[in-house]
Amino acid sequence: MDKLIYLYGIIPANADNAIPPMKGIDEHNPIFTIPFGEIEAVVCNLDEAEYREKELEAKTNNMEWVHEKAFHHHEALMTLYEIFTIIPMKFCTIYSGKDSLQNTIVEHKPKMIELLDVIAGKEEWIMKIYCDNSKLKENVAEDNPTIASKREEIELLSPGRQYLEKRKLDQLIEQETDKEKDSFSSRLHDQFAQFSTDSEVKKNWNKDVTGREEDMCWNSVYMLEQSTVEDFLANVQKAQDKWKSSGWFIEVTGPWPSYHFSKIS
Amino acid sequence: MSQRKEFENKDVALIDILDVVLDKGVAIKGDLILSIAGIDLVYLDLRVLISSVETLIESNQETAEQLSSKRFDYEKEELDRVINESG
Repeated sequence: MDKLIYLYGIIPANADNAIPPMKGIDEHNPIFTIPFGEIEAVVCNLDEAEYREKELEAKTNNMEWVHEKAFHHHEALMTLYEIFTIIPMKFCTIYSGKDSLQNTIVEHKPKMIELLDVIAGKEEWIMKIYCDNSKLKENVAEDNPTIASKREEIELLSPGRQYLEKRKLDQLIEQETDKEKDSFSSRLHDQFAQFSTDSEVKKNWNKDVTGREEDMCWNSVYMLEQSTVEDFLANVQKAQDKWKSSGWFIEVTGPWPSYHFSKIS
Repeated sequence: MSQRKEFENKDVALIDILDVVLDKGVAIKGDLILSIAGIDLVYLDLRVLISSVETLIESNQETAEQLSSKRFDYEKEELDRVINESG
């Protein structure tokens, strides 16, 4: 029976450096490589009865399965990434057999060779900025000159007018805080992006996703030459120390395989 | 290499992995078409997240520990808290 092929990623051809032994996504079949000239596909076989389209769809509707296997996919890529330059494939890239894998690889091979050359010796680092919203609001209320003078004006009004004007002022503080979040974060982003060969601003996640008290106000990713990673991180650390007391939390994770900056088509 | 040691592979959350693996990575369409591509994290159900964190810790004890099981525990507590507050 024809076997399905799960594709993890593409690495440069290497005669002397075998991939470490790892079990595939089904926890049974081994992960191995198929050579295609200058490049190699890192794959594992899958039983068609269990992983054909209908079965796979049922599996992917089970979020527990998705989370566990997505973790496996990433873990395998991280192991490979420590040794090789790798083009990481999206989770669950599955081919119906060796022929269809071969057709796809042959079609995209020139691009893949080019891409491997571009991402070699580079690392992805992700930065997220969180902020303590109430602290930030306090700071804005204290430091913003427009708000300070508004406040003085309000003190002179009748109690009824004061109530209304204070509500307006609260809204103004809210707006100014949002502006401050954006301008602070994008300034920092510009500073960090200088170290990178490429960067991308990602969507912020809401609190339901992060499970944190602080608001996420920035989410971005940087492609760094290995030689600039130290400088980049030194700058991150400096910014962390400098801004923590004002309610800004700057967090970085990495190195990641080139998930964001590997593009074939 | 002091800075690198300070940051390398630390504080990586499950959600970070899901984000890059489900949403990013090279997509060359295989023969099997998957509905999972381009899943929007914002719409992931909270309870699903929690159950998955538990599954991950149980079934992947060793690797999860390497990655930082403390972090997962922390997230789970946080998520529990969020649900209790909103429920």
